[in-house]
Amino acid sequence: MQPVLELNGISKAYGSIKALKNVSYEVPEGCVFGILGPNGSGKTTMLSIILDILKPDTGSFAWFGDPGSPETRKRIGSLLETPNFYQYLSAVDNLNITHAISGRGNTADIDRVLEIVKLSERKKSRFSSYSLGMKQRLAIAAALLGDPQVLVFDEPTNGLDPVGIAEIRELIKELARRGKTIIMASHLLDEVEKVCTHVAIMKRGTLLTAGNVDEVLANEDIVEVSSNDPEKLFSLLANFPGCTNMKQDGKLIQLFFPVGTARLEDVNRFCFEKGITLNLLLVKKKSLETKFFELTND
Amino acid sequence: MLALIKIEWLKIKKYPAFWWMLGIVALTYPGINMMTYYGYLKATSGKEMVNNAARFLLGNPFSFPESWHSVAYFSSFFILLPSILVIMLVTNEYTFRTHRQNVIDGWSRAQFITSKLFDVLIVSVIVTLVYLLVALSFGLYADSTATNRWAEQLQYIPLFLLQTFAQLSIAFLLGYMVKKAFIALGIFLFYYLIVENIAVAYARFKMNDIGRFLPFEISDRLIPAPAFFSHFGKDAKTSYDHAVSAIPEHILYTILLTSVIWLICYRVHKNRDL
Repeated sequence: MQPVLELNGISKAYGSIKALKNVSYEVPEGCVFGILGPNGSGKTTMLSIILDILKPDTGSFAWFGDPGSPETRKRIGSLLETPNFYQYLSAVDNLNITHAISGRGNTADIDRVLEIVKLSERKKSRFSSYSLGMKQRLAIAAALLGDPQVLVFDEPTNGLDPVGIAEIRELIKELARRGKTIIMASHLLDEVEKVCTHVAIMKRGTLLTAGNVDEVLANEDIVEVSSNDPEKLFSLLANFPGCTNMKQDGKLIQLFFPVGTARLEDVNRFCFEKGITLNLLLVKKKSLETKFFELTND
Repeated sequence: MLALIKIEWLKIKKYPAFWWMLGIVALTYPGINMMTYYGYLKATSGKEMVNNAARFLLGNPFSFPESWHSVAYFSSFFILLPSILVIMLVTNEYTFRTHRQNVIDGWSRAQFITSKLFDVLIVSVIVTLVYLLVALSFGLYADSTATNRWAEQLQYIPLFLLQTFAQLSIAFLLGYMVKKAFIALGIFLFYYLIVENIAVAYARFKMNDIGRFLPFEISDRLIPAPAFFSHFGKDAKTSYDHAVSAIPEHILYTILLTSVIWLICYRVHKNRDL
């Protein structure tokens, strides 16, 4: 299947600082693609390049199989870095300009997107009178205008309150359910973990890894067990076949296995036969946070 | 094309500074011409021979057809006012970062510059309309016996439009390159009011009038001082005739300079990081 977005060896330098080093990956259709990285890792630079705000020094990219152009950008709803609107115009007037330039949406659709981001009551107020969170909401509304198939969000929950963050997370899930492709940059790992199907991790302009979330995260299986006598359990499990590593944290014991080799039945039977009853037994996915620190720490 | 103009109009029509500028221009253009007109009336209104002679010799600079020329000349001193607006219109795009958003939303980089070119054109046309109304009113009011000559010297209307567009294009270039409104305005004022005037005056006497090729002076010479001033002696007459005969040449220079300005904008915008 034709990927929605394809990057080939993109590099970009600001003077002596290399913001992006030979970055290549593909974004498949219908996925929620999270781009992770610490501050200054090149996330926004990369999104700016695919939206033709910055010119790459080398490399190329293609949207829907075609080189980036005004026509391809019109099919994408984007929120890049900050909400960019005319300060003296109202939400509606600003969205009218978005509509006029992109051809996305219409008058009724402007009301619809303002309703989604809960700005309907203030839709006639000047943009300059909005709070930070409201500005961010308007930027999301502008991206949603015309219900585009592809959305690019750069830190979409910036400036939002906890309720707003949860709402946007729900919105993104809802969009994903409807088959939209969403490319989202964030340094909030939790945010990405909750909504993304694919992830790319960047550090100082280099792409460390990219792919399906499960593939990126799961390079080992973690089994968590617990019983009333954790010390005894720990010494017993030290002999468990196939286990590569063990950790104990209070009553909780973690067993590490190579990917796909952990079998809970075996663990359960092993313990039971040795006279220990478990009161907890589960396979845990490695958290994105752990993986992220593992990859980005020197 | 029409779509671009419509979008620019969406941006401009609710911009308070636009209406302020229009209001101020609508006051200033009649104002400056009124002052000159009353000055003229005062100098020629007495019953004495001298006054009569003055009236006869000078002619009325505000009756048709001279009104087209005189009003254009005096009004053009105030290019500063629409220049401020033009600088604001471009630097606003940087301040609001909408120069990026417009491209993200689907404009090409060239379309962005074209849209700004239309901004400058829209402002130029509006300013020219104000000039047209003022010149027309003066022509009708100053001397009712000359109204049948209204169609002479109409060339000053397109000349005024060209001059306005050319000079506002310079203001645009400054705003576009400098990006910061106040710095651009500062440079504009300092250069337009002081530097170039001194340079042109100096060059006129010392350097074979090379100052006529300075950016504003090129188009300033599209509208020479009114014929009225040519009656103050033989030298004045010669220099007036000379200025009038140089107009076609300056039309060419103006078009050239203005084209170069816009070409620079298109070229720079094509490759720069926004």
